[in-house]
Amino acid sequence: MRSVLLASLLLSVPTAHAAEPLKFEQLGKLHTLIKPQADEEKFMQIPWLTSVWDARQQAARAGKPILLWEMDGHPLSCV
Amino acid sequence: MGRESTFADAKIIQLINDNFIPVAADDWYQRRRDDDEGIFFRKVADQGPRKGQGGSTRQGIYAFTASGKLLGYRNHHDVDVMRRFVQDSLKAWEKLPAGERAKDVLNVGDVKKVDANYARTPPKGGLILNVTTRILDRTDDFFCHGTCKFPGGQRAAHDRLWLTADELQALTPRDVKVGQEIAMPAAATYRLARFHLLDNTRGEPPMWTRAQVRTANVALKVEAVNDSAVRVRLTGAFLLSTDADAKAAQRGYDVSLIGDIIYNPATRALTRFDVVALGDHWGAGPYTGGARPGRNPLGVALELANPERAADRVPPQAAREGGNYFRADR
Repeated sequence: MRSVLLASLLLSVPTAHAAEPLKFEQLGKLHTLIKPQADEEKFMQIPWLTSVWDARQQAARAGKPILLWEMDGHPLSCV
Repeated sequence: MGRESTFADAKIIQLINDNFIPVAADDWYQRRRDDDEGIFFRKVADQGPRKGQGGSTRQGIYAFTASGKLLGYRNHHDVDVMRRFVQDSLKAWEKLPAGERAKDVLNVGDVKKVDANYARTPPKGGLILNVTTRILDRTDDFFCHGTCKFPGGQRAAHDRLWLTADELQALTPRDVKVGQEIAMPAAATYRLARFHLLDNTRGEPPMWTRAQVRTANVALKVEAVNDSAVRVRLTGAFLLSTDADAKAAQRGYDVSLIGDIIYNPATRALTRFDVVALGDHWGAGPYTGGARPGRNPLGVALELANPERAADRVPPQAAREGGNYFRADR
Protein backbone atom coordinates (compact mmCIF):
# COMPACT_ATOMS: atom_id res chain seq x y z
CA MET A 1 0.00 0.00 0.00
CA ARG A 2 2.86 2.35 0.90
CA SER A 3 4.41 1.87 -2.54
CA VAL A 4 1.08 2.58 -4.24
CA LEU A 5 0.63 5.78 -2.22
CA LEU A 6 4.19 6.79 -3.02
CA ALA A 7 3.49 6.15 -6.68
CA SER A 8 0.44 8.40 -6.55
CA LEU A 9 2.56 11.19 -5.13
CA LEU A 10 5.42 10.69 -7.54
CA LEU A 11 3.16 10.37 -10.53
CA SER A 12 1.51 13.69 -9.82
CA VAL A 13 4.60 15.67 -10.81
CA PRO A 14 3.68 18.33 -13.41
CA THR A 15 4.28 17.03 -16.91
CA ALA A 16 6.51 18.37 -19.64
CA HIS A 17 5.51 15.43 -21.80
CA ALA A 18 4.58 16.40 -25.36
CA ALA A 19 4.01 13.13 -27.24
CA GLU A 20 0.58 12.69 -28.79
CA PRO A 21 -1.69 10.31 -26.85
CA LEU A 22 -2.19 7.00 -28.62
CA LYS A 23 -5.62 5.83 -29.69
CA PHE A 24 -6.81 2.41 -28.61
CA GLU A 25 -7.66 1.62 -32.24
CA GLN A 26 -3.95 1.97 -33.10
CA LEU A 27 -2.80 -0.65 -30.60
CA GLY A 28 -3.06 -3.79 -32.73
CA LYS A 29 -1.51 -2.25 -35.82
CA LEU A 30 1.37 -0.71 -33.88
CA HIS A 31 1.97 -3.89 -31.89
CA THR A 32 2.27 -5.90 -35.11
CA LEU A 33 4.49 -3.27 -36.72
CA ILE A 34 6.99 -3.21 -33.86
CA LYS A 35 7.20 -6.93 -33.15
CA PRO A 36 9.71 -9.13 -35.03
CA GLN A 37 8.76 -10.15 -38.54
CA ALA A 38 9.25 -13.79 -39.50
CA ASP A 39 12.04 -13.11 -41.96
CA GLU A 40 14.19 -11.14 -39.53
CA GLU A 41 14.33 -13.78 -36.82
CA LYS A 42 16.21 -16.51 -38.64
CA PHE A 43 18.55 -16.97 -35.69
CA MET A 44 15.54 -18.20 -33.73
CA GLN A 45 15.25 -21.18 -36.09
CA ILE A 46 18.01 -22.58 -33.88
CA PRO A 47 16.69 -24.00 -30.57
CA TRP A 48 19.11 -22.12 -28.34
CA LEU A 49 19.51 -23.21 -24.75
CA THR A 50 20.52 -20.54 -22.24
CA SER A 51 22.60 -22.60 -19.79
CA VAL A 52 26.00 -24.02 -20.72
CA TRP A 53 25.54 -26.68 -18.07
CA ASP A 54 22.21 -27.79 -19.54
CA ALA A 55 23.94 -27.89 -22.93
CA ARG A 56 26.66 -30.12 -21.43
CA GLN A 57 24.04 -32.53 -20.14
CA GLN A 58 22.17 -32.66 -23.45
CA ALA A 59 25.39 -32.99 -25.47
CA ALA A 60 26.61 -35.89 -23.32
CA ARG A 61 23.29 -37.69 -23.70
CA ALA A 62 23.04 -37.03 -27.45
CA GLY A 63 26.69 -37.64 -28.34
CA LYS A 64 26.99 -34.21 -29.97
CA PRO A 65 29.33 -31.23 -29.63
CA ILE A 66 28.20 -27.89 -28.20
CA LEU A 67 28.13 -24.61 -30.10
CA LEU A 68 28.17 -21.58 -27.80
CA TRP A 69 27.22 -18.05 -28.94
CA GLU A 70 28.78 -15.85 -26.25
CA MET A 71 28.40 -12.07 -26.39
CA ASP A 72 28.63 -9.07 -24.09
CA GLY A 73 24.90 -8.63 -23.69
CA HIS A 74 22.79 -11.73 -24.19
CA PRO A 75 22.72 -12.77 -27.88
CA LEU A 76 19.00 -13.48 -27.64
CA SER A 77 18.40 -10.09 -26.10
CA CYS A 78 19.53 -6.63 -27.02
CA VAL A 79 22.71 -7.14 -29.06
CA MET B 1 26.31 -9.01 -35.41
CA GLY B 2 25.62 -12.75 -35.33
CA ARG B 3 21.92 -12.33 -35.95
CA GLU B 4 22.51 -10.44 -39.17
CA SER B 5 25.21 -12.68 -40.57
CA THR B 6 26.28 -15.99 -39.06
CA PHE B 7 22.98 -17.13 -37.61
CA ALA B 8 20.87 -15.86 -40.50
CA ASP B 9 22.71 -18.14 -42.94
CA ALA B 10 20.62 -21.15 -43.99
CA LYS B 11 23.63 -23.49 -44.28
CA ILE B 12 24.96 -22.55 -40.84
CA ILE B 13 21.50 -22.95 -39.29
CA GLN B 14 21.20 -26.40 -40.83
CA LEU B 15 24.71 -27.43 -39.73
CA ILE B 16 24.01 -26.38 -36.15
CA ASN B 17 20.55 -27.92 -35.94
CA ASP B 18 21.76 -31.23 -37.40
CA ASN B 19 24.99 -31.60 -35.47
CA PHE B 20 25.31 -29.40 -32.36
CA ILE B 21 23.65 -28.61 -29.06
CA PRO B 22 23.29 -24.81 -29.38
CA VAL B 23 23.50 -22.48 -26.39
CA ALA B 24 23.64 -18.69 -26.10
CA ALA B 25 25.02 -16.82 -23.10
CA ASP B 26 25.82 -13.33 -21.83
CA ASP B 27 29.57 -13.02 -21.30
CA TRP B 28 29.05 -10.35 -18.65
CA TYR B 29 27.77 -13.09 -16.36
CA GLN B 30 29.81 -16.02 -17.66
CA ARG B 31 33.20 -14.42 -17.15
CA ARG B 32 32.34 -13.38 -13.60
CA ARG B 33 30.26 -16.13 -12.03
CA ASP B 34 32.13 -18.30 -9.52
CA ASP B 35 30.13 -21.46 -9.89
CA ASP B 36 29.93 -24.65 -11.93
CA GLU B 37 28.58 -22.86 -15.02
CA GLY B 38 31.19 -20.07 -14.99
CA ILE B 39 34.15 -22.25 -14.03
CA PHE B 40 33.37 -24.74 -16.79
CA PHE B 41 32.95 -22.01 -19.41
CA ARG B 42 36.26 -20.37 -18.50
CA LYS B 43 38.00 -23.75 -18.60
CA VAL B 44 36.83 -24.04 -22.21
CA ALA B 45 37.63 -20.42 -23.11
CA ASP B 46 41.12 -20.64 -21.61
CA GLN B 47 42.03 -23.12 -24.37
CA GLY B 48 41.41 -20.40 -26.99
CA PRO B 49 42.66 -16.87 -27.58
CA ARG B 50 40.20 -15.13 -25.22
CA LYS B 51 41.67 -15.84 -21.82
CA GLY B 52 39.95 -12.92 -20.14
CA GLN B 53 43.09 -11.11 -18.99
CA GLY B 54 42.18 -8.38 -16.52
CA GLY B 55 38.54 -9.43 -16.62
CA SER B 56 38.24 -8.61 -20.31
CA THR B 57 35.58 -10.03 -22.59
CA ARG B 58 35.62 -13.61 -23.79
CA GLN B 59 32.86 -13.12 -26.34
CA GLY B 60 32.80 -15.12 -29.55
CA ILE B 61 31.58 -18.42 -30.97
CA TYR B 62 32.92 -21.57 -29.31
CA ALA B 63 32.61 -25.22 -30.28
CA PHE B 64 33.51 -27.76 -27.61
CA THR B 65 32.71 -31.14 -26.16
CA ALA B 66 30.58 -31.93 -23.13
CA SER B 67 33.82 -32.78 -21.31
CA GLY B 68 35.17 -29.29 -22.01
CA LYS B 69 37.59 -29.87 -24.89
CA LEU B 70 37.69 -26.85 -27.22
CA LEU B 71 37.11 -27.76 -30.87
CA GLY B 72 37.24 -24.25 -32.26
CA TYR B 73 36.80 -20.53 -31.56
CA ARG B 74 36.02 -17.69 -33.93
CA ASN B 75 34.52 -14.21 -33.72
CA HIS B 76 34.11 -12.86 -37.23
CA HIS B 77 31.56 -10.88 -39.25
CA ASP B 78 32.04 -12.74 -42.52
CA VAL B 79 29.50 -15.51 -43.16
CA ASP B 80 31.91 -17.55 -45.28
CA VAL B 81 34.51 -17.47 -42.50
CA MET B 82 31.96 -18.54 -39.92
CA ARG B 83 30.55 -21.29 -42.16
CA ARG B 84 34.06 -22.73 -42.50
CA PHE B 85 34.51 -22.39 -38.74
CA VAL B 86 31.37 -24.47 -38.06
CA GLN B 87 32.41 -27.07 -40.64
CA ASP B 88 35.97 -27.24 -39.28
CA SER B 89 34.67 -27.60 -35.72
CA LEU B 90 32.54 -30.51 -36.84
CA LYS B 91 35.55 -32.12 -38.51
CA ALA B 92 37.54 -31.70 -35.28
CA TRP B 93 34.69 -33.43 -33.43
CA GLU B 94 34.62 -36.29 -35.93
CA LYS B 95 38.36 -36.81 -35.50
CA LEU B 96 37.93 -37.54 -31.79
CA PRO B 97 37.98 -41.20 -30.77
CA ALA B 98 34.57 -42.82 -31.13
CA GLY B 99 34.52 -43.43 -27.38
CA GLU B 100 34.65 -39.69 -26.70
CA ARG B 101 31.78 -39.00 -29.06
CA ALA B 102 29.44 -41.79 -28.01
CA LYS B 103 26.13 -41.12 -26.29
CA ASP B 104 25.88 -41.42 -22.51
CA VAL B 105 29.61 -42.04 -22.00
CA LEU B 106 30.05 -38.91 -19.91
CA ASN B 107 27.77 -38.44 -16.92
CA VAL B 108 27.23 -34.71 -16.41
CA GLY B 109 25.53 -34.38 -13.06
CA ASP B 110 23.35 -31.53 -11.89
CA VAL B 111 24.85 -28.18 -10.99
CA LYS B 112 26.10 -28.19 -7.40
CA LYS B 113 27.36 -24.65 -6.97
CA VAL B 114 25.41 -21.57 -8.09
CA ASP B 115 26.83 -18.07 -7.63
CA ALA B 116 23.94 -16.10 -6.16
CA ASN B 117 25.65 -12.83 -7.15
CA TYR B 118 25.22 -13.63 -10.83
CA ALA B 119 22.44 -16.19 -11.11
CA ARG B 120 19.24 -14.56 -12.34
CA THR B 121 15.93 -16.39 -12.39
CA PRO B 122 12.44 -15.02 -13.06
CA PRO B 123 10.56 -14.09 -9.87
CA LYS B 124 8.61 -17.03 -8.46
CA GLY B 125 4.91 -16.52 -9.09
CA GLY B 126 5.66 -13.42 -11.13
CA LEU B 127 5.31 -12.56 -14.78
CA ILE B 128 7.62 -12.33 -17.79
CA LEU B 129 6.80 -9.91 -20.58
CA ASN B 130 8.62 -9.91 -23.89
CA VAL B 131 9.76 -6.42 -24.84
CA THR B 132 10.49 -5.52 -28.46
CA THR B 133 11.87 -2.19 -29.58
CA ARG B 134 12.08 -0.86 -33.12
CA ILE B 135 12.87 2.41 -34.86
CA LEU B 136 9.96 3.68 -36.94
CA ASP B 137 9.40 6.34 -39.56
CA ARG B 138 6.31 8.48 -40.06
CA THR B 139 4.18 8.04 -43.17
CA ASP B 140 1.43 10.37 -44.35
CA ASP B 141 -1.15 8.75 -42.10
CA PHE B 142 0.68 6.30 -39.80
CA PHE B 143 4.08 4.73 -39.20
CA CYS B 144 6.29 2.21 -40.97
CA HIS B 145 9.52 0.37 -40.18
CA GLY B 146 12.33 2.86 -39.78
CA THR B 147 15.52 3.05 -41.79
CA CYS B 148 18.99 3.95 -40.57
CA LYS B 149 22.62 3.74 -41.62
CA PHE B 150 23.69 1.61 -38.65
CA PRO B 151 23.97 -2.06 -39.78
CA GLY B 152 21.04 -3.97 -38.33
CA GLY B 153 19.70 -0.91 -36.52
CA GLN B 154 16.38 -1.24 -38.32
CA ARG B 155 15.74 -4.66 -36.76
CA ALA B 156 13.59 -5.37 -33.73
CA ALA B 157 15.55 -5.50 -30.47
CA HIS B 158 14.61 -7.81 -27.62
CA ASP B 159 14.44 -7.73 -23.86
CA ARG B 160 12.25 -9.11 -21.08
CA LEU B 161 10.46 -7.32 -18.26
CA TRP B 162 9.99 -9.16 -14.98
CA LEU B 163 7.13 -8.43 -12.57
CA THR B 164 7.11 -9.84 -9.05
CA ALA B 165 4.31 -11.99 -7.64
CA ASP B 166 3.12 -9.08 -5.47
CA GLU B 167 3.02 -6.75 -8.49
CA LEU B 168 1.11 -9.32 -10.50
CA GLN B 169 -1.43 -9.65 -7.69
CA ALA B 170 -1.81 -5.87 -7.55
CA LEU B 171 -2.46 -5.70 -11.28
CA THR B 172 -5.12 -8.44 -11.25
CA PRO B 173 -7.56 -7.69 -8.42
CA ARG B 174 -10.50 -10.07 -8.02
CA ASP B 175 -13.53 -7.93 -7.21
CA VAL B 176 -13.62 -5.09 -9.68
CA LYS B 177 -16.30 -3.06 -11.43
CA VAL B 178 -16.38 -1.37 -14.80
CA GLY B 179 -14.79 2.05 -14.53
CA GLN B 180 -12.68 1.16 -11.52
CA GLU B 181 -9.07 2.26 -11.56
CA ILE B 182 -6.27 -0.13 -10.64
CA ALA B 183 -3.10 1.30 -9.14
CA MET B 184 0.12 0.36 -10.94
CA PRO B 185 2.79 -0.40 -8.30
CA ALA B 186 5.41 2.34 -8.29
CA ALA B 187 8.34 -0.06 -8.61
CA ALA B 188 6.79 -1.60 -11.74
CA THR B 189 6.10 1.83 -13.22
CA TYR B 190 9.67 2.96 -12.76
CA ARG B 191 11.09 -0.41 -13.85
CA LEU B 192 9.19 -0.08 -17.09
CA ALA B 193 10.40 3.48 -17.59
CA ARG B 194 14.02 3.20 -16.53
CA PHE B 195 14.93 -0.19 -17.95
CA HIS B 196 12.55 -0.89 -20.82
CA LEU B 197 11.62 2.39 -22.49
CA LEU B 198 14.99 2.88 -24.12
CA ASP B 199 16.71 2.51 -27.45
CA ASN B 200 18.50 -0.84 -27.47
CA THR B 201 18.37 -1.22 -31.27
CA ARG B 202 22.13 -0.70 -31.68
CA GLY B 203 23.44 -2.56 -28.62
CA GLU B 204 23.58 -2.09 -24.89
CA PRO B 205 22.05 1.28 -23.95
CA PRO B 206 22.53 3.23 -20.73
CA MET B 207 19.58 2.82 -18.38
CA TRP B 208 17.68 5.86 -17.22
CA THR B 209 18.43 6.95 -13.66
CA ARG B 210 15.56 7.54 -11.27
CA ALA B 211 16.09 11.29 -11.61
CA GLN B 212 15.95 11.11 -15.42
CA VAL B 213 12.34 9.94 -15.25
CA ARG B 214 10.90 13.44 -15.55
CA THR B 215 7.28 12.40 -15.95
CA ALA B 216 5.65 9.05 -15.22
CA ASN B 217 1.92 8.60 -15.67
CA VAL B 218 0.23 5.23 -15.96
CA ALA B 219 -3.51 4.65 -15.60
CA LEU B 220 -5.27 1.29 -15.55
CA LYS B 221 -9.05 1.37 -15.92
CA VAL B 222 -11.44 -1.58 -15.95
CA GLU B 223 -13.31 -1.63 -19.27
CA ALA B 224 -15.34 -4.83 -18.99
CA VAL B 225 -16.02 -7.58 -16.47
CA ASN B 226 -17.64 -11.00 -16.65
CA ASP B 227 -17.16 -14.29 -14.82
CA SER B 228 -14.20 -15.38 -16.90
CA ALA B 229 -12.46 -12.16 -17.90
CA VAL B 230 -11.60 -8.68 -16.71
CA ARG B 231 -10.48 -6.31 -19.45
CA VAL B 232 -8.30 -3.37 -18.47
CA ARG B 233 -7.26 -0.39 -20.60
CA LEU B 234 -3.78 0.97 -19.96
CA THR B 235 -2.89 4.54 -20.88
CA GLY B 236 0.25 6.38 -19.98
CA ALA B 237 2.96 8.87 -20.75
CA PHE B 238 6.60 9.16 -19.80
CA LEU B 239 9.20 11.84 -20.35
CA LEU B 240 12.71 10.49 -19.95
CA SER B 241 15.63 12.82 -20.46
CA THR B 242 19.21 13.31 -19.41
CA ASP B 243 18.54 16.96 -18.58
CA ALA B 244 15.69 18.48 -16.61
CA ASP B 245 15.10 20.68 -19.64
CA ALA B 246 14.13 18.05 -22.20
CA LYS B 247 14.77 20.46 -25.06
CA ALA B 248 18.42 20.71 -23.99
CA ALA B 249 18.86 17.03 -23.13
CA GLN B 250 21.44 15.04 -25.10
CA ARG B 251 19.32 11.93 -24.84
CA GLY B 252 15.61 11.52 -24.25
CA TYR B 253 12.40 9.71 -24.98
CA ASP B 254 9.02 11.45 -24.97
CA VAL B 255 6.53 8.63 -25.18
CA SER B 256 2.85 7.71 -24.85
CA LEU B 257 1.46 4.30 -24.00
CA ILE B 258 -1.69 2.35 -24.77
CA GLY B 259 -2.48 -1.19 -23.69
CA ASP B 260 -5.05 -3.96 -23.49
CA ILE B 261 -4.85 -6.34 -20.53
CA ILE B 262 -7.14 -9.32 -19.92
CA TYR B 263 -7.12 -11.67 -16.94
CA ASN B 264 -9.28 -14.30 -15.34
CA PRO B 265 -10.68 -12.86 -12.07
CA ALA B 266 -10.89 -16.31 -10.46
CA THR B 267 -7.41 -17.58 -11.27
CA ARG B 268 -5.85 -14.15 -11.86
CA ALA B 269 -4.09 -15.65 -14.86
CA LEU B 270 -3.32 -13.16 -17.60
CA THR B 271 -4.35 -14.06 -21.13
CA ARG B 272 -3.32 -10.77 -22.72
CA PHE B 273 -0.84 -8.04 -21.86
CA ASP B 274 -0.46 -6.10 -25.09
CA VAL B 275 1.09 -2.68 -24.59
CA VAL B 276 2.64 -0.25 -27.05
CA ALA B 277 4.82 2.74 -26.24
CA LEU B 278 5.46 5.21 -29.04
CA GLY B 279 7.18 8.55 -29.11
CA ASP B 280 10.23 10.45 -30.24
CA HIS B 281 13.65 9.31 -29.06
CA TRP B 282 16.88 11.20 -29.47
CA GLY B 283 20.56 10.72 -28.67
CA ALA B 284 22.83 7.72 -28.07
CA GLY B 285 24.84 6.12 -25.28
CA PRO B 286 28.54 5.12 -25.12
CA TYR B 287 27.82 1.72 -26.70
CA THR B 288 24.90 2.70 -28.94
CA GLY B 289 26.50 5.15 -31.33
CA GLY B 290 25.13 5.68 -34.81
CA ALA B 291 21.72 6.97 -33.75
CA ARG B 292 19.67 8.77 -36.36
CA PRO B 293 20.15 12.53 -36.15
CA GLY B 294 17.42 14.50 -34.44
CA ARG B 295 14.28 13.16 -32.81
CA ASN B 296 12.68 10.14 -34.41
CA PRO B 297 9.88 7.69 -33.65
CA LEU B 298 10.78 4.69 -31.52
CA GLY B 299 8.23 2.02 -30.69
CA VAL B 300 8.21 -0.49 -27.84
CA ALA B 301 5.82 -3.46 -27.73
CA LEU B 302 5.17 -5.63 -24.67
CA GLU B 303 3.35 -8.95 -24.60
CA LEU B 304 3.12 -12.10 -22.50
CA ALA B 305 6.17 -14.33 -22.79
CA ASN B 306 6.14 -18.10 -22.98
CA PRO B 307 8.09 -19.22 -19.87
CA GLU B 308 8.54 -22.67 -21.41
CA ARG B 309 10.70 -21.14 -24.14
CA ALA B 310 14.35 -20.80 -23.06
CA ALA B 311 14.78 -17.50 -24.89
CA ASP B 312 11.88 -16.00 -22.95
CA ARG B 313 13.62 -16.76 -19.66
CA VAL B 314 16.73 -14.72 -20.53
CA PRO B 315 17.13 -12.13 -17.75
CA PRO B 316 16.31 -8.50 -18.48
CA GLN B 317 19.40 -6.56 -19.53
CA ALA B 318 18.98 -4.36 -16.47
CA ALA B 319 18.92 -7.39 -14.16
CA ARG B 320 22.68 -7.01 -14.13
CA GLU B 321 21.83 -4.38 -11.51
CA GLY B 322 20.75 -7.22 -9.22
CA GLY B 323 18.09 -6.27 -6.69
CA ASN B 324 18.07 -2.69 -7.92
CA TYR B 325 16.13 -3.93 -10.93
CA PHE B 326 13.18 -4.59 -8.66
CA ARG B 327 13.62 -1.35 -6.68
CA ALA B 328 13.52 0.95 -9.66
CA ASP B 329 11.42 3.56 -7.84
CA ARG B 330 14.15 4.29 -5.29
